[in-house]
Amino acid sequence: MKWFPSFGFQRRNRELKEEIDAHLQMAIADRVARGETEETARQAATREFGNIALVQDVTRQMWGGSWFEQLGRDVRYALRQLRKNPGFAITATAMLAVAICANSTVFSWIDGTMLRPIPGARDTGDLVSLQRGERNFSPTPPFSYLDYRDLREQNHTFTGILAYHHDWITLTGGAQPERVYIANVSANYFDVLGIKPMLGRFFLPEEETRPAIPNVVLSYSLWKTRYAADPAIVGKSIEIARHPVTVIGVAPEGVVGAMPGIREDLWVTLDPLGTDAWRLTHRSGGAVWLNVIGRLRLGVSRGQAAQDLDTVMRSIVAAYPDQHLGDNRITLDPMWRSPFGANGYMAATLPILLAFAAVVLLLTCANVATLSLVRFVSRRRELAIRQSLGANRIQLMRQMVLEGVVLSIVAGAVALALTTWTSKTFAWFFRASSSPTTLNGSMDHNVVIGIAVFSLLAGMLCGALPAWRSSHAPAVEVLKAESASISGGSRNRKLLSGLVVAQIALSLPLLLCSGLLLRTLRNLAGANPGFEQDHILTATVGLNIAGYSDGEVQLIRHKILDRVSALPGVKVASLTDWIPMTLGHKGEDAYPEEYVPHPHESLQVYHAEVAPRYFESLHIPILEGREFTPDDDEKAPRVLIVDQTAARRYWPGQNPLGKRLRLWGRLFTVVGVARNSTHMFVNESPEPMVYMSFFQEGYETILQVETEGNPVYLVPEVENAIHEIDTRLPVFDVRPMRESTQLASSFAVIQSALAGMFALIGLVLAVTGIYGVVAYRTQMRTHEIGLRVALGASRVDVLRLVLLQGLWLTGIGLALGLAFGLGLTRFIARLLYGIGANDPVTVVSVIMLLGTMSLVACYLPAHRAIRRNPVTAIREL
Amino acid sequence: MSTSMNEKDQYKNRIELLQGTLDMLILQTLQWGPQHGYGIVQALRLRSGDVLQVETGSLYPALHRLERQRWVQSEWKQSESKQKARYYRITAKGKKQLASDLDRWQQIVEAIGLVMYVKPEESAS
Repeated sequence: MKWFPSFGFQRRNRELKEEIDAHLQMAIADRVARGETEETARQAATREFGNIALVQDVTRQMWGGSWFEQLGRDVRYALRQLRKNPGFAITATAMLAVAICANSTVFSWIDGTMLRPIPGARDTGDLVSLQRGERNFSPTPPFSYLDYRDLREQNHTFTGILAYHHDWITLTGGAQPERVYIANVSANYFDVLGIKPMLGRFFLPEEETRPAIPNVVLSYSLWKTRYAADPAIVGKSIEIARHPVTVIGVAPEGVVGAMPGIREDLWVTLDPLGTDAWRLTHRSGGAVWLNVIGRLRLGVSRGQAAQDLDTVMRSIVAAYPDQHLGDNRITLDPMWRSPFGANGYMAATLPILLAFAAVVLLLTCANVATLSLVRFVSRRRELAIRQSLGANRIQLMRQMVLEGVVLSIVAGAVALALTTWTSKTFAWFFRASSSPTTLNGSMDHNVVIGIAVFSLLAGMLCGALPAWRSSHAPAVEVLKAESASISGGSRNRKLLSGLVVAQIALSLPLLLCSGLLLRTLRNLAGANPGFEQDHILTATVGLNIAGYSDGEVQLIRHKILDRVSALPGVKVASLTDWIPMTLGHKGEDAYPEEYVPHPHESLQVYHAEVAPRYFESLHIPILEGREFTPDDDEKAPRVLIVDQTAARRYWPGQNPLGKRLRLWGRLFTVVGVARNSTHMFVNESPEPMVYMSFFQEGYETILQVETEGNPVYLVPEVENAIHEIDTRLPVFDVRPMRESTQLASSFAVIQSALAGMFALIGLVLAVTGIYGVVAYRTQMRTHEIGLRVALGASRVDVLRLVLLQGLWLTGIGLALGLAFGLGLTRFIARLLYGIGANDPVTVVSVIMLLGTMSLVACYLPAHRAIRRNPVTAIREL
Repeated sequence: MSTSMNEKDQYKNRIELLQGTLDMLILQTLQWGPQHGYGIVQALRLRSGDVLQVETGSLYPALHRLERQRWVQSEWKQSESKQKARYYRITAKGKKQLASDLDRWQQIVEAIGLVMYVKPEESAS
């Protein structure tokens, strides 16, 4: 085996063998000359010489030579030792590989999401996302174009600030219409991100609001799939929602836009057709539609930049107070935890999972260290001889540490191979949703470095501790020691016990956290969201993005309702433009008449536009007033239904019916109060919700059908009914409501699934750890136990003897682990629902589980010990 | 069981070499002419009247260490009995080292002697 082929080493090694051989030959020759027979002379000479391999080994260490050669020798030695004991080598490597893989997998997810928030962008560490007003998860776009432009032009701390807004649209003009995600972007969008076009060019400043000709930039994947990677695409005209636009460029491969976790397919400027002038010239209401990201100037901190922007914002608010009621403070977030897009959720979940994985790694190291220690103890004699032959302590330690390092390097390599696959499993957790999510782990140099660090750490922990311990054993005592005390002095026993206690103490918090998270998941699934979700089918109809006129759209909507309502198996059909619990919401500043907000109170309300019978189909009771009727159409006065939270906040103690609320500059009259229901998450704090009439303000068209039976059976009928109206009508996201609302618990699923997996690994490790140590100690005491039995000890006595030591360790481990665990659960308290961080039932059941498993682990060796024949047990040693 | 008892007896009967004196003894042996490892063991045993028994496990590491420190050189030669063996030869540097080792040895012996054979009146003065 040539791990470190070195010519000099090979030659010297050969010479050493020859030298020793010559020595033996001469000794034999002398003895033969003295009259011994050839055979006895050979035996005597060999015995006199001693252990040849050991002499060679120690002599080789004197050569010194380059650092590399020494390392090569030590590695060879370590490999030889490990090969002698394949069971240990394979077990330890497998355990370490799993533990390292757990860490690197979670790290690859962090790397693919939080650390690479905007694929393809330059220096994402300098990018910050801007938020106005209250901070919350998945906020609505916070800025109007005019505010954005003022911030962009008047700040002193940014090299550039970009703005974008994205939504679905339909690509027409081809054989098949295709729904794609389009972004309206400021002209500097790609410049600020630091992305260069792969083909053609990006936008020019003068094209921002009103390009001379409508133009579009394609993403690499769209260019590849829909336009067959046409190298001459630049300058060609394509059709978006039946409007011709000119392709001016193609973005490089991998670029998917500025919102973490969301895939944009093509980009146009803010008002490519000149039809959105109103949005670009107002500062409030529907004109607040842009997400904004800035790139900090070199050396500017986030705090300084936030102050700078706040100053600008205050002057804007002073100039246009009526358009900026409510909270206008600006907060900046680095992209890794930007609330816009996926990273807000990631930042709340993944670091905690990484911490769990780190505990698993520690636990594994403790386990492997236990195994190593037991091995080193049984090798004490060999080590002592080496030491007495002149190997110094440092050399011995280095060799032992190297055994751990070799194990962990092999484990790291296995983990690397595993992680290339596991890193891609992250996408499994995200079901099809109404947003084009592109979330996955990535396997780049960061992860490889991470694995190297994890395995080196593991190697050190696994090797150094036992090595340090063993090398302290005084050589003379070990050599003198009789076999009975080979179990290793009291100090080794203490270290072994310590490691077992550590394993139990580390696995308990893992089990506790996973227990809490699993029960949270169950509570979330069992919680009543306040609306019916089991017999509901939803289907999105791409009316607004397919290029129909407003009149056509309204007509088609009515036709859809009529046709679908008439289908057999349909109880109620309604329309909406929002589905609850799908990680998204629509928000708007609302100004209730006669209501004086507190300073900095956010005036944002959630809103949804719903058609008649919406509340009926979802079984949400109207507590006061009425539901919408078909008469609440464009010609009728604007009406609202508010939920209890909104009613209590704006009109406490009053009858909300007849009150008025200003939204988008228009007055809406409250005609009903609906019972509260869940908007985003089961465990949200309720935000005020206002429902508007779909036929007055509806934008997207989502059909919502309450069915008699399983909603899946109605999918083809519903699709047919819509296509009977117009075969070109794009219909997508047809699925039962239950499927969509599961999005709200996807992060709870990730948390509990991984925590559960890690806890299971932890449990197995802890139990095998305590089993291994108790079994080993019992084996070492076979002789003593045999004596005890021979002298009249009963089986119960022996059982008690063996069990007690194991249970004693378990008890200490459980106590420490409980203290550790209860300290740790505070950190996941935020993720829990319907259960306290110190939930006694979970705590008790985890302790029972771990205790019982330990008991079984201790019982097995005890059982074996009492079944042994005392006579053979005494003879054994 | 029995073999290990014999080994232990052997250990007890031998005079353990003081740390560092082995180097000196090897260098001294080589003063009388180049010698191979087996020859050094025999020479030390003979000259000490069978008292000093050098372990091979100590000898070879020591020889290789001395060579690395350039106090001895080695070459392969045929012995009188036509056995090819590695002969060690003391170098000039080795001779200097031997001289200083010997000095130190004598100092230690004298110092120990002073302690061990101290007379009452001398200690009083």
